Amino acid sequence: MQAVHRQPLSLKLLSSGFLFFWCIVAAFPIVWITVMSFKSPVDAFDASALNVIFGPQTLADGKGISLLDILAYLGVAIWMGRSIKRTLPGMVMTFADKSGPVWLGWIIGASITGLVVLVVFFALLPTVLGFLNPLVGPLGRDIWGFTTEHYTTVWIDRAFYRNFQNSMIVTAGVVTVSLTVGTLAGYGLARSGSVLAFGILIIALVFRALPPSVLVAGYLPVFINSAELLRPFLGDAAPTLYGKPYAVIAVLVAMNQPFTIWMLRSFFQNIPAELDEAARVDGCNHFQAFRRVIMPVMWPGVITTGLFSFLLAYNDFLVTSLLLDAQNQTMVPAIAGMFNRETTTTDQVVAVAAAVSITAPLIILVMVFQRQIVSGLTAGAVKG
Amino acid sequence: MKLKTLALAGAMSLMSSVAFAECAFENTVPLKSLSAGFEAWKAVTDAMAECGNFEASLDQEFREKQPEAFAANPSLYHIGGVANSTIIPLLNAGSIRPLDDLVEKYGANLTPNQLIKIDGKIMAIAMMVNTQHLMYREDILNDLGIAVPTTYAEVLDAAAKIKEAGVVEYPIGGTFKTGWNLGEEFINNFLGEGGEFFTDGNMPNINNEKGVASLEVMKALTEYMDPEYLVSDSTYVQQQFQQGKIAMSNLWASRAAAMDDEAESQVVGKVVMAAAPMGSAAPATSLWWDGLVFATNMTDEEADAAFRVAMEGIDEEMVKANNDAAVWLVPGYAPGRLAVGAAATAAAGARPYPGSGPMGIMHTVLGNGISDYLTGAKDAATTLADIEAAYVTAAKEAGLVK
Amino acid sequence: MKFKTFAVFVGPSVLMMLLFIAFPLVSVFLQSFQVTQPVYETVEVETCTPGFLEQTCVTEMSSVPKLDEHGEIITTTTFVGLQSYRNVLEPDRAWAAIKAFDWRGLQTIDFWKALRFTLTFTFITLPLVIGTGLAIALAINNAARSVKGPVIFVSLLPFIITPVIGALSINWLFRGDGILTAWLERMLDRDIALFAQAWTIEVLMMIYRVWHVAPFAAIVFYAALQTVNHDSLESALIDGATRWQRLKYIVIPHLMPLIVFVSMIHLMDTYRAFEEIVGFSSQGYVISLQWLTYDFLVPDQAGNRSVSRASASAMLTMIGIAIILVPLLKRTWRDHRRSH
Repeated sequence: MQAVHRQPLSLKLLSSGFLFFWCIVAAFPIVWITVMSFKSPVDAFDASALNVIFGPQTLADGKGISLLDILAYLGVAIWMGRSIKRTLPGMVMTFADKSGPVWLGWIIGASITGLVVLVVFFALLPTVLGFLNPLVGPLGRDIWGFTTEHYTTVWIDRAFYRNFQNSMIVTAGVVTVSLTVGTLAGYGLARSGSVLAFGILIIALVFRALPPSVLVAGYLPVFINSAELLRPFLGDAAPTLYGKPYAVIAVLVAMNQPFTIWMLRSFFQNIPAELDEAARVDGCNHFQAFRRVIMPVMWPGVITTGLFSFLLAYNDFLVTSLLLDAQNQTMVPAIAGMFNRETTTTDQVVAVAAAVSITAPLIILVMVFQRQIVSGLTAGAVKG
Repeated sequence: MKLKTLALAGAMSLMSSVAFAECAFENTVPLKSLSAGFEAWKAVTDAMAECGNFEASLDQEFREKQPEAFAANPSLYHIGGVANSTIIPLLNAGSIRPLDDLVEKYGANLTPNQLIKIDGKIMAIAMMVNTQHLMYREDILNDLGIAVPTTYAEVLDAAAKIKEAGVVEYPIGGTFKTGWNLGEEFINNFLGEGGEFFTDGNMPNINNEKGVASLEVMKALTEYMDPEYLVSDSTYVQQQFQQGKIAMSNLWASRAAAMDDEAESQVVGKVVMAAAPMGSAAPATSLWWDGLVFATNMTDEEADAAFRVAMEGIDEEMVKANNDAAVWLVPGYAPGRLAVGAAATAAAGARPYPGSGPMGIMHTVLGNGISDYLTGAKDAATTLADIEAAYVTAAKEAGLVK
Repeated sequence: MKFKTFAVFVGPSVLMMLLFIAFPLVSVFLQSFQVTQPVYETVEVETCTPGFLEQTCVTEMSSVPKLDEHGEIITTTTFVGLQSYRNVLEPDRAWAAIKAFDWRGLQTIDFWKALRFTLTFTFITLPLVIGTGLAIALAINNAARSVKGPVIFVSLLPFIITPVIGALSINWLFRGDGILTAWLERMLDRDIALFAQAWTIEVLMMIYRVWHVAPFAAIVFYAALQTVNHDSLESALIDGATRWQRLKYIVIPHLMPLIVFVSMIHLMDTYRAFEEIVGFSSQGYVISLQWLTYDFLVPDQAGNRSVSRASASAMLTMIGIAIILVPLLKRTWRDHRRSH
């Protein structure tokens, strides 16, 4: 916008000042719990901010890192970040050219990168630094209270990786099914002017507005007794739906449908109907037109909608806490359980570490898809 | 940060698989349990898991899931963890089995005190008791020359002196969080006054001088508490103690061990346990038990295995390893300095929590209704009348009141 | 589009909604007019429970549900008409309080207390969310190209964070001598207890909600700002319109559909506010409509739950939402007619 260049200084200062303030407000709680999670319990819940940041008690317990540690970790992190950014896309593309689809390349690339990062940060660097620290004198003395023991407790002793795995299963399931079902419905609704289509949209809107706790409580007895209820139809194959991830996926997909179809409908409405009409003139039926003409151009909107589905499934507490049992519990109810147990202060910091762990994938997700969110929204997925 | 921690963690997880050998027999029947998730349950279910083929659900929604899951046929869980009140829906629905034959076969190590009997039939095996009793900072009371309070009047007296001396700003801590905790505090005081919650036909009976007296004690206590008392639960009070911010509290026995936890507490060795303050009739507290129940809807073979595994879970070995996690009823428990309060409270004639269908409703409406009195929105009589009205509405809907 | 094709496209989605939303909803609707309860009989029961050293046994009369021959509890279902609604609304007490202009009296009835909070919460946060969102969007749009990416990323954080965790972290920051309370106390030089009275808790909840939702509004508005018609901005500039006039006459009208969209989403979500009540454990001071429903529905320790009142309260919440949604429905209908 040209206008931007001619702004008076005061307006510019105001604008950037406000933005700066907002960024601090937005990030503060998350940054703060991250800091807490690396401290011993006494420090983490200290009333003085400085004690929380520098962790004197943590340091006194012999858990700290030296200036050398800080420099080394920061340096390696920056260097690795840069080199990943530089080389990874290229390598993926080479792979894709030779031996497989791009997405497979990305998955392999990402997992190898993740593995290397884990090895470097949790095995290589600690060993090297453990050897170097005593040698460099004051640089090697611990100056900053810092401990990762709570993460070890969460991920290894409490087997949080299992909850992580369950969360991934449920989330992946919800996103896939929700988008498949929702895209079809959204397209159908966008291209139909019937009163029925309008009725479905309105009812979906009312469903969207429903308080979920009302519905969820009704599921429990049905899900627990489903084996008995379904036996007349399915015989001995009748499953107990309680505690089954696929049952939870179905519930979450259904609850997410109203929002999904509204969003995708407005998105499809912005794709000119002339496009698929032209294809139909060429002899395609509706499905072929959908596949050949619409599918190639629908991705920005689908990705944006998919992100909302992801957030809903990943963050859900009500449904997952009630309909899954301990063996396949997802992360959010697991963490809420940690907080609500009769806990010691140590347990609480462990729970804080778990809370930070659950936020990390979300942050990565936003980093990766940030551009798509904005472009998807710009492309008109939310015209109301 | 250190490789050592990782190695240690690895060693720890190895140890838990070595511990497999500690179970007296190898269980081959797949078993599942559903219970609350506090420390004692974790200790017990970990010990059960040593026998193999056992999966524990320590679930905070257990209260909601248990009645449905045990009523299913076959039951989704074999072993359940219950307390005074949570056993009621299972008993009512007949979804837990009498244990007399199993106790005879495998229960040689159980003491008579552990056997929960309903109409002469053993329906559950208790493993621990819990109760709220007085914890106080011995150093502060000694410095000011205050005798250990035995009634709430004396507690308030002591609090006034402590506040005046300026030792701590808020001398008293209380688990007054709206909801279950607050309801429990009222019930404690009402029991202490010798009150009966119901008259014939399950009609409520709290709007009387005993109820008013209970409310007044609670209000008087809040004067000496952190003003955020309506959000303070047991963990919060425990932390206030640990950080030296309060001097006295009627807190759960299961929290006693935290006072001496060197990693967190700044008052190690300074907090002493005593009997719960006396009301005009009994100690102002209630006795709780936690224990194990077994589903009706499972085969006898499963029941046998479940009971044997459960016995391994509450054996001497487990208690010795987790002595301070609870006030255990299991042989082998060595009551130390921290258990003195619970013992003295029981000896003074504390009444058991009167778990029943109507009591479940009463506890909920109390927990929701009392805050209006403490915040000053209503006077005592109106508060109690409104609570009684709320009780009657809910009890009518549940079919308990005609 | 032929009906058959339409049905195939829309079918799976509609089926899922029918199965998991419409079906339970119908049962909620029916349950709000009836009461299902076990048939109790009064029997004498002796209960022996452990003490610290020896058992205490009490014998008392207690109500026990009757079981049928399969061991199932016998229940009766009766049609009670609007009784459950009356139990929730307590119309007599409410009316008496209204006639006496007794606001505090009205606020001692749970439903009206919850309605009061839900409405204030909804309508105070609405302009704040829209305003903050718009301000952030304009500021981002105004920022240098190089910082836009990182700023959008940071702005989105509050929106994506798991709600349970967001509410908990606010709790740690403010409860007791939480870090921000301590900071406030130093700034104002007085003792502050933010969780000790209703209004501070309400303010905290509103701040939390705005913090959580404003990024969504901001990102939607920002996306829309990218499609503002440059030609009309240019010509307005040539006509000598001030910055404020351009914002008022060109940008805001362009954003209007999205402001309506965000408002509606916000109204729907805020009207069913629930997480704040649990996260801030504010039940002692303020409750919301969905919390009330939830509280009826959660079984107490002895397994009783007030399904009928919960259903009635849920239906009342729905009616409230439907009223709030009327403007959106009208607009959608107009659009729908226009586009076909």
